[in-house]
Amino acid sequence: MELVILKTDALFFILIASLLAYIFYASKKEHLARPWRSVLKKPMAASALTILAFYLTVAILDSIHFHPEIEGTSSDTPVYSSQVVSLLDEVLKPINKNTETTYSAPFAIYSYSKESQESDTGQIIRDYPRLIHAGSHLSGISEVRSDLIMRSLSALGYWIFAMAILCLILISLRVVKLKLMVADWLNLSTFFRPSPAQAAVITFAAVCLSISLVATVGPYYHILGTDKVGNDVLFQGIKGIRTGLLIGTLTTLIMLPFAVVLGVAAGYFRGWVDDAIQYLYTTLSSIPGVLLIAAAALMLEVFMTNNAGDFESVTARADLRFLCLCLILGVTAWTGLCRYLRAETLKLKESNYIEASRAFGVLSWSTISQHVLPNLMHIVMISIVLDFSGLVLAEAALTYIDIGVDPSMESWGNMINGARLELAREPVVWWSLFTAFLFMFVLVLAANVFGDSVRDAFDPRIRELD
Amino acid sequence: MSTPLLEVTDLSVSFGSDNGRETVLNRVSFSISRGETVVLVGESGSGKSLSAMSIVRLLPHAARIDSGSILLNGQDLFKLSERQMRNVRGASVGMVFQEPQSSLNPVMTVGAQIAESVRRHQGIRGKRLTGRVCELMDAVGINEPYEKSRQYPHEFSGGMKQRVMIAIALAANPELLIADEPTTALDVTIQAQVLELLKAIQAKQNMGMLFITHDLAVARQIADRIVVLKEGQVVETGTNEVFYKAPSHPYSKALFDAIPSWDKRLREGLAPSLDVRATLLTVEKLRVWFPVRSGLFEKKIPPNKAVDGVDLEIHEGETLALVGESGSGKTTLSKAVLQLLRPTAGSVHYADKDLCQIDSRQLRSIRSDLQIVFQDPYSSMNPRMLISDIIKEGMNAQNVGDSIKDRDDRAAHLMEQVGLEVGHLKRYPHEFSGGQRQRICIARALAVEPKVLICDEPTSALDVSVQAQILRLLRELQDNLGLTYLFVTHNIGVVAYMAHRVAVMYRGQIVENGNVQQVLQSPEHEYTRTLLHAVPRLDNNS
Repeated sequence: MELVILKTDALFFILIASLLAYIFYASKKEHLARPWRSVLKKPMAASALTILAFYLTVAILDSIHFHPEIEGTSSDTPVYSSQVVSLLDEVLKPINKNTETTYSAPFAIYSYSKESQESDTGQIIRDYPRLIHAGSHLSGISEVRSDLIMRSLSALGYWIFAMAILCLILISLRVVKLKLMVADWLNLSTFFRPSPAQAAVITFAAVCLSISLVATVGPYYHILGTDKVGNDVLFQGIKGIRTGLLIGTLTTLIMLPFAVVLGVAAGYFRGWVDDAIQYLYTTLSSIPGVLLIAAAALMLEVFMTNNAGDFESVTARADLRFLCLCLILGVTAWTGLCRYLRAETLKLKESNYIEASRAFGVLSWSTISQHVLPNLMHIVMISIVLDFSGLVLAEAALTYIDIGVDPSMESWGNMINGARLELAREPVVWWSLFTAFLFMFVLVLAANVFGDSVRDAFDPRIRELD
Repeated sequence: MSTPLLEVTDLSVSFGSDNGRETVLNRVSFSISRGETVVLVGESGSGKSLSAMSIVRLLPHAARIDSGSILLNGQDLFKLSERQMRNVRGASVGMVFQEPQSSLNPVMTVGAQIAESVRRHQGIRGKRLTGRVCELMDAVGINEPYEKSRQYPHEFSGGMKQRVMIAIALAANPELLIADEPTTALDVTIQAQVLELLKAIQAKQNMGMLFITHDLAVARQIADRIVVLKEGQVVETGTNEVFYKAPSHPYSKALFDAIPSWDKRLREGLAPSLDVRATLLTVEKLRVWFPVRSGLFEKKIPPNKAVDGVDLEIHEGETLALVGESGSGKTTLSKAVLQLLRPTAGSVHYADKDLCQIDSRQLRSIRSDLQIVFQDPYSSMNPRMLISDIIKEGMNAQNVGDSIKDRDDRAAHLMEQVGLEVGHLKRYPHEFSGGQRQRICIARALAVEPKVLICDEPTSALDVSVQAQILRLLRELQDNLGLTYLFVTHNIGVVAYMAHRVAVMYRGQIVENGNVQQVLQSPEHEYTRTLLHAVPRLDNNS
């Protein structure tokens, strides 16, 4: 295989690296480690973090792209297909490879729309055909239920087995003590008031169970149906995770430098610097964001059409469009945080320790980096976590008006966009919308719950008595 | 004697969670009769405010009353329901709090806030209500009560706001008045007026008063009996006469010893004055005027003249005290001398240079000679920096010390000099007490080896015993290192204890300047006389 690094992949991995660096840095500094520890002490936050970790893993898997090797060629050097495929595609191959012709309901073995078929007597009748792949191992619809039950039970069996192996590994590594574990789990009241570790473990187990079910049932049925061209909807939903997650994180990465630099400069230096920056962000926040994004997207279209030769594949084009979307969202989103940071800097500037700094003759730049920035970090942190969910939802809205991600890229916004016409059909094709909604809802809910805990831990005003 | 108005018996209160409870009041007992003033004296953390809050059952959520009883007119307050308690608060027990600035709602008129209490407990409305509000404001000595009742709190001065608070407390004619450090945040002249007012009202209404303070001199003025609290326990009680003549408990004696005064200075052997030395710093005709913008059309309003033509001389090795009340401009003056605020006019001469005129690079090189220690130890250090970094910040900026190792050594040495453990260098500010934090701030200022140290009320936020330690430390450092201090304060006792010369500031100008003995014992200016007269004295009832 030949590795392909898309622009957004590179930025994403830089972001992951800086996240790890931050974790390492924060573990050393007491004033950062303590609030983070109190965040993790809440069971809801631990649970939300587990779910976010799963989403992140999926996004990372989906960010490793390569050209797959073409089998069966006669040359000595490997030949690579021009198709760009990700690691996640490989993992989900059992689900993905079975494409049908058109819509089909979840767990159905018959297609959604009628086709002309030849009956046994040789007449041409219009009837629902059997699906090509889903349920092809069955002879009739009566067998579906028992087949599903069998497969679910075997999924349960695999899951119990996997959980047992995990417990054994953890016990042997002395991470968990057997006696404590048994005592905890037998005590039913823990399920109503779990400790954070227990909450995380329960969530982890629940997600593993669903993975197990998908892995056993998925190759044989379309769990969430198929879309207009027969692609598995569950697969599309999982692929949409990377898009949603990346919108949130990359936009924040682009937005932060603007907001922090301009906000702190405006608050610290006052005078004409403050006036100029205020005019800038007031003007920018007065322009409807959607118009700016639409203008930028259309300009990008023109650019790409004129320079069609520079882009080697549809994936590269889609990637560039995605990157530009993140850029333009970042450039329009910094105004809110900037205003907040400016106000906080104004307040901090009156502090005695900054006056003491000036009495030492410390240069402005040193004062800002040593005194102002560390005391602003909690606001930035809270802002990042809370804005994240807003951005994921914004992507869906933008795709709805055709200025979002490229249609060739799987995203929840695209699925919702398609649902516009699907819902008008009779009978209603609800499964695309449902899938997009389900994945988005879980992600945004987890992010919000986690964000609330972060805010409670870091906001100096709400902090509890230690 | 009839039953006392208030009887607190074996009150025990603790804080904490299921993991561990900390007892903050331990079997506290005292009683108050009608017409009597009992003063609760103690340092911060002794539990005096908590005792007051327990009486009206307004303790914080995490507090729990472990045992004891509080009888008001024979009725056990702990047995009442919350609804019954609401009738007690305000109607039987009135409370006056410490900070008038934050105890009044800024968006309600003063009259409306007084009326709130009247309406709740006396049930009158309309014109009668307005009449009653004016009556109350008159009783607390506010002129033109009707016009003033329609003004907002920010239009009142600190002393006036406290009078309003007293009016609210008196609205329902309570039998017991609890005053929790009502004059601590006020200037000494205003404090004298408010204390007089409280005494007059108490006499007129025959109320019992529970007065809480940390200042023994204030207690002397109004107490009939004194109760001394230490760490949640009553260590001594006594009548005013007996207690001040001969306190029996060692803690009370220590409290008296810690109060700074002229006698204490002589006892500890500091010279009453210093021989004439070289002049280090000269301030000439310094002005700091703040422009006041008003209205849509920016009418010409005279500017706020915070410092208006000040002349000062500071001699080498001496302590010059700068005394004044709030709003006199002493903090503005000290910051202007250091060029942390740019003066509007005038000059500050140091080492043959005019600090107001030289460029920023030259100023930066002189900065190490002039340093400042701030008033509030809780906000003068960056909470997210380690102590070692805080102390080394100045050294890094001024290139003191040859290498990182050298600076670390100096930081360790400074910690020892100010009386702290070197091992605590790798801690954060919040892990230290107020007094320790102030020592760290002193160490930070000393790190760049200054010649002049401006101390802007460094001990106002500290307990009297901690204050005594910090003042002694400052004196020792002056002896050992030959420092010169410009000591800004409003506490005359501190001036008597620390200073060689004193300058009195009033409304942006220096009204009197001279040797401390001369100014304190025979003041010339009218304002100085008023100021000194208003200071509560320990030796006699004034």
